[in-house]
Amino acid sequence: MSTVATTKPTQLASGSSGSAILCRGAGKAYRLYDKPIHRLWELLLPGKKFHREFWALRNVYLDIPHGSTVGIIGENGAGKSTLLKLLTGITLPTAGEVAVQGRVSSLLELGAGFHPEFSGRDNIHLACSILGMSEEEIAERFPKIVDFSELGDFIERPVKTYSSGMYVRLGFAVASSVDPDILMIDEALSVGDEHFKGKCVNRLNEFREQGKTTIFVSHDMGSIKSMCQHVVLLDRGEVLEQGSAAKVADEYLKRAKARGNERLSSYDRGTSVYPRWGTGEIETTEVEMLDPAGQPSLVFTPGEPFRVRIRYKVHGHVANPVFGLGIYRSDGTYVNGANHHWRERPIEIADCVPGETGVVEMRFDALPLLSGSFYLTTFLYDHGKAAPTAIDHREHVLSFDVVDVRRLQHGMLFLPSRWSVVRDQPGMGVSTLESDA
Amino acid sequence: MLVLIRSLRKNRRLLQDMVRRDLRARYVGSSMGFFWSVIFPLLNLVIYMFVFTFVMKSRWDEGQSNQEVALLMLAGILVWQAFAETVSRSTNTLVENQNLIQKVVFPSEVLPVYLGVSALVNMLIGVAIALIGVAFYAWISPIVPEAGAPAPQRALGFSYTLVALPLLFAIQLVFTIGLGFFFSALNLFLRDVYHVMGVALMVGMFMTPIFYPAYLVQKAGLGWVLKINPMYWLIDSYRRVLIYGLWPQPPVVAAFAGVAIVVFALGAVFFLRQKPRFPDLL
Repeated sequence: MSTVATTKPTQLASGSSGSAILCRGAGKAYRLYDKPIHRLWELLLPGKKFHREFWALRNVYLDIPHGSTVGIIGENGAGKSTLLKLLTGITLPTAGEVAVQGRVSSLLELGAGFHPEFSGRDNIHLACSILGMSEEEIAERFPKIVDFSELGDFIERPVKTYSSGMYVRLGFAVASSVDPDILMIDEALSVGDEHFKGKCVNRLNEFREQGKTTIFVSHDMGSIKSMCQHVVLLDRGEVLEQGSAAKVADEYLKRAKARGNERLSSYDRGTSVYPRWGTGEIETTEVEMLDPAGQPSLVFTPGEPFRVRIRYKVHGHVANPVFGLGIYRSDGTYVNGANHHWRERPIEIADCVPGETGVVEMRFDALPLLSGSFYLTTFLYDHGKAAPTAIDHREHVLSFDVVDVRRLQHGMLFLPSRWSVVRDQPGMGVSTLESDA
Repeated sequence: MLVLIRSLRKNRRLLQDMVRRDLRARYVGSSMGFFWSVIFPLLNLVIYMFVFTFVMKSRWDEGQSNQEVALLMLAGILVWQAFAETVSRSTNTLVENQNLIQKVVFPSEVLPVYLGVSALVNMLIGVAIALIGVAFYAWISPIVPEAGAPAPQRALGFSYTLVALPLLFAIQLVFTIGLGFFFSALNLFLRDVYHVMGVALMVGMFMTPIFYPAYLVQKAGLGWVLKINPMYWLIDSYRRVLIYGLWPQPPVVAAFAGVAIVVFALGAVFFLRQKPRFPDLL
């Protein structure tokens, strides 16, 4: 079933009645045992310690007023899920305190607990009673849930016959029917088709308009930024920064770059697992991406100027070598390919002889890619033959990430555009509005 | 303890739904559906009877007909199966439902309870079959003792003493759920518990006089085993009521009730004390 957690409102200390959620130095330590049997020894011999402590979260101070929309971001393992579990009351804090005011519903996992053999109808009933709804409440909400899930006649069929999309739709329908005061969402919306996603976003907007508190968890700064006023950035179990989205976004970007570029030092040049082929007269010895400051980097932001630098070394004679570069999205989508030969004013590198070395640079004024993971393939082909022949073709030679915290456009590419609106208002005449480029 | 009762009261609807779902889940997807509830105990009975009376030639008391032995075995099997099923399923239930425990604020105390109730309801079907069998051999087609054989010590047939059944059901439930609480929580500390449980229940079944008469144990000088085996007390009480129309022996019932309450209290306290840690232990 959809995993909605309902907790009883914990009474907040007087004076803080405006807070929906209040954390004071909250922390969670998990006990790690070297051997399973140590759990038993610890149970039988109280006072003796058989575990190591691992702090998944510590020193969290949060004060979230009613009606706000809060985003929690961080890398995998930063403690986001642990924080949500504390806020929903699924686990108890090891240190500090967590106080929540109002009925909490969390979409930690949609459709968890559905019984595959039973019909959608039966599963809705059971899921609702797990959420603590009374018989009348279920009867009242049942038609709405069925309606929202758009399952139609499938509602009478066993859940095991559902497609994964139907499963998630039913899960979301149940979870969001609880009518909570505080809604927590753990990246649940990344599933389902566009149509249903839109319905989910509408449902969430309704929540916000009703003055309810919403908490999003994501590792994508962009999607959170557009929805949340207050953002909490977690890193390795600690709150690194919290505050306005813009303020946290900068810190997040800095982090993402630093984290992405950790790969630079461990980047292994010789033993790539990706294919490399060619006759080998010329070898591309090194491929680097450079940020605007000329430093090697693997994380970029849209609109940023960047360069790709290839170093080469000649081992044998080639008539007409041409360097090229392909940019691919991580799923293999071919984004762009170019070389220095197919141009109005081509560069010709004629008559290379052994011993020559050199540097080829491709300069881009503004990175047109939006958020995502991409990779580069370098082409070195001999165009002096009847058909271009590979000299050194290196697939997937570098992978890099684009992190977008501005979110001015959606999709894969940033396309420069100019907008205008012409308004003809009665009694005021015609006015023209122009956007920037 | 009061916390537990209050929570079960609050979640009685959920409990009811889970029991209903579980009973249906046993047979949903099979074409014979509900009839498996009837066929299964009978099939078991036939197998055990064949092994114990024809292959092993185990002797029951003098003068007991094969039909009577069959009914005695059936009563024993039914009760043991309900017990074993609850304890064994409870042991693994928290692990099985970790999705709920880790992702929802879930009243995990309903889990062993619903398993106990579900097994008991399933047992009722078998009890009804046993009663039909008793009625058949007692009144419709009475067993005629073979010439020269001693007359049976007790006459078949049930009577108004059936009113004692609900009491036996209740105590059985308290006892098994108590064990369920204990072992479900213990299994989180050591997953081996679940595997050991399978073997332990098997040993327990053969140490309880289900397929052989109790007097053989006494004759072998192992009477003390019966004295400390609460499941024997329970099965013996059921047999007296279901098959002979007698009252269960009050001291035996009282002793079992006492054991059941102590087991339940210990199990529930252990369960509730560890409950806040369940999401972390899974």
